[in-house]
Amino acid sequence: MPRFSSKQYQSRVLVAMAIYTAFMLLVWPWVGKTPSMPLKALLALAATLPVLYVIAQMARLIRNSDELERHTHLVALSTATAVVGALTFIGGFLAAAGVVKLDGSTLLLVYPAVVLCYGAVRWRLVRSYGGNALCEETGIRPYLYLVLFGVVLMAVALLYPGRLDDARRSFLYGAAAAMIAFGGVPMARLWYRRKYRHD
Amino acid sequence: MNNLIRELRGERGWSQAELAQQLDVSRQTINAIETGKYDPSLPLAFKIARLFGMPIEMIFAPGEE
Repeated sequence: MPRFSSKQYQSRVLVAMAIYTAFMLLVWPWVGKTPSMPLKALLALAATLPVLYVIAQMARLIRNSDELERHTHLVALSTATAVVGALTFIGGFLAAAGVVKLDGSTLLLVYPAVVLCYGAVRWRLVRSYGGNALCEETGIRPYLYLVLFGVVLMAVALLYPGRLDDARRSFLYGAAAAMIAFGGVPMARLWYRRKYRHD
Repeated sequence: MNNLIRELRGERGWSQAELAQQLDVSRQTINAIETGKYDPSLPLAFKIARLFGMPIEMIFAPGEE
């Protein structure tokens, strides 16, 4: 059976993120206006489905990895869990003591923080083994799609400013900037390697 | 740990990607093993030895502590 590749993983994550973005833009604004509590809960939980799908795909990627890849994934994940766990613990105590004000929506930052920390640690770890976590066996295409998706989101935010409220406009700018950065950097590196190093 | 994988692969005219495919691992894992940056597990070391048709102790040798 062929291995579940990084390329397949990235394609699926991209589709899930597109669905998540569409949901946040089109459906999420209605959640606050919905009087029915069960419907509100249903819509709130529906927003998590694409992210839960991404987590499942990540588990599949790790399960189908070889021993070195699995080692780097697990070390990066455990480091990220420890770092974010420590930060939330500190933040929790500061909030409980009334030093800082944190509302429930702060919890939405936990998963992105884990992913960012995991990505940084794995990038460093894979480099220490002589590899490249950003560009391994994926090719340019997934990164190109990510950049294009970011450009489309940015265009929507710029072309329809009047039709978007502050929350949706901020979400669009943030998502677009992240996609262009996370797609553009590895794409540029791959392009450079192919053009000048031929490896 | 030192190993002769790069030499044995070269003798057979295999690329890192071809060896990786035969061992069902990634090319980067082969590269890490060849450069001594990663020591394979015993099951993978036995798989490598079986593929090259040699005893495991002829391919892998303990490096400097």
